[in-house]
Amino acid sequence: MNISQKDLGHLGMLLGLAGFTLWYLSDAISVSTSVPNLLLILPVATAVLILCLAEFLTSLWRRELFAAVDDEPVREILPIILLFSAYVLTLPWLGFDLGTVLFVAIFLRMKRENNWWMVIGYSLIFGLTVALFFAFMLPYPMPMTFLPID
Amino acid sequence: MIDFAASADALSLLSSSLTPWLIVIPGIIIGLIFGATPGLQISMAMAIFLPMTLYMDFMQAMLFLTAIFTGGSFGSGIPAILMNIPGTSSAIATAFDGYPMARKGLHNQALGIALVSSVFGVLIGYLILFMLIQPISLMVLKLGPSEMFMVILWGMTLIASLRGEHVLKGLIAGLVGLLIGTIGFNEIGLARGTLGSFYLFDGIPVIPAMMGMFAASELFRLANKQYIVENDASRKVDLRKIATGFKTAFASPLVMLRGCLIGVFVGAVPGVGSSVSNILSYVETKRRDPDPDSFGKGNPKGIVASESANSTSEAGSMATLLALGIPGGGATAVMLAAFAMHNITGGPQFIRAQTDIVYAIIFANFAQVFFLMILGILLIPLLANIIKVPMRYLIPSVLVLAVFGSFGLTGNFVGPFTVLAFAIIGWLMRRYGYSVPAAVIGILLGAMAEKTLLHSYQISGGDISYVLERPVTLLILALLLISLFGKQAMTLIKALLQRKTSPRTVD
Repeated sequence: MNISQKDLGHLGMLLGLAGFTLWYLSDAISVSTSVPNLLLILPVATAVLILCLAEFLTSLWRRELFAAVDDEPVREILPIILLFSAYVLTLPWLGFDLGTVLFVAIFLRMKRENNWWMVIGYSLIFGLTVALFFAFMLPYPMPMTFLPID
Repeated sequence: MIDFAASADALSLLSSSLTPWLIVIPGIIIGLIFGATPGLQISMAMAIFLPMTLYMDFMQAMLFLTAIFTGGSFGSGIPAILMNIPGTSSAIATAFDGYPMARKGLHNQALGIALVSSVFGVLIGYLILFMLIQPISLMVLKLGPSEMFMVILWGMTLIASLRGEHVLKGLIAGLVGLLIGTIGFNEIGLARGTLGSFYLFDGIPVIPAMMGMFAASELFRLANKQYIVENDASRKVDLRKIATGFKTAFASPLVMLRGCLIGVFVGAVPGVGSSVSNILSYVETKRRDPDPDSFGKGNPKGIVASESANSTSEAGSMATLLALGIPGGGATAVMLAAFAMHNITGGPQFIRAQTDIVYAIIFANFAQVFFLMILGILLIPLLANIIKVPMRYLIPSVLVLAVFGSFGLTGNFVGPFTVLAFAIIGWLMRRYGYSVPAAVIGILLGAMAEKTLLHSYQISGGDISYVLERPVTLLILALLLISLFGKQAMTLIKALLQRKTSPRTVD
């Protein structure tokens, strides 16, 4: 990643935080402009926007927008984030038992676990044990495909 | 201050039968397991086992529940140190230096430090409670919303100083967290930032957000590592090194004592409690240390400060519960339910009429400390083995536990979805140098800060001079300012004095 891409990432993060703040402030104002409603939100949101501007200007001045960016292996991290997102978002349909077994198995294969017995064995034992444990401990039903719900 | 006749009655009550003690060891083990399992909470353990206390007398029920509380106070530090996942919000600051120590292969020492600090914290906390329960209860009664807001503000603003090189980013993260913490219905029944979803009416679920930001985002970053501790020789679990941790903890007695004092007094403030006390203690220790830059990189004093404060908070919150009948947090709220189940109402009347029972609960906790020490030493080697697990197994396993735990907390898919959303936000924040702890503390305290500020506004009628009539508010404000600018002010004063005293040179 070259310097300009890092700068863009940083700027995007700063814009994201300022954007959220602006949206939240406008949403709160649209609900009510009364003092009790905006007592904390208005000063805090104003402070965030001023600080975002100050951070942008000082970074420009010091020419170190990208100074705090870690050199992480993004290509290795993004697939993990995508897999985790898929796991969480499909849980209501796949159920906690099947979803967890699949997630663990795919993760192990992605991280180059070549022993298929370990992939299948660990994902099955871990996934089903955790699903059973929580299903037993929690007072509400958990969606499952194979295991009993109650 | 101390009723000696009641103390004697309490001792005879505890020594008359072995039966109440039988449930202490299982209680501590339950607390340790729930505290050490990411996603399970001490309050959850107490709530799950609350029905069992129906078959116990009041004294036995209290011993059982406080044993879970005591075990959990140390247990929550274990995942904070080994996996950077604070088991509860009270162990946030434990992760700051505990996890870097574990990554350096100093996990044995870190766990030893945490155990001793917890044990010492509980002991000192209950000792202070024994001596000062009545004055503490009177003091807590005098705290109004303006004082509580100041305590919250103190905790919040100090967070910015945690990452000295990025103060602006720390402040932005903390304040945005504070705004996120106010999402949902406020005190006057207005819903903000919910996008029309009724799942957000109660606000963002804090613990799942914390799991996502602390644990999941950190695990993403470790995706290409083979082990938490890369060096093979450093992955050994060694009892002698754990014992070295004990010594290291006692090498900082002042840090420990300061943590205990902060813990017991901040812990007594309802709703604020251990979540703020561990941060305050950590930040104060960092601020006073001659080498503040070493904090966050594996300084043992960070663990001592955090663990001694959060363990002492237990005694502080018990003070509020016993003396006023007000729960300081989730765990004491469950205890309040146990009070109700046994037809007992906490408060000044309870303390006066049942002083022997109150003292018996306190004395029993002294004994629990020794059980915790023994059980902790026995269980640490077992729990510390986690670092021997390859990351390709550890990462999916911990992510799964966080997802299950978050579902357990919310009872629906809002929990897991929150973990996912905040994991991505947390990863981005870490990547671009924004303080994740500051954001988490903001989320944690947002709703409370708004509520206390609103109450202050309603009481004062918007008149700012009301603050001048509140000496405790002014005192906390002064402490806040000293904490923030004390060092700079001292440097400035010293420079001015030096300029005055040194002879003027003429070129």
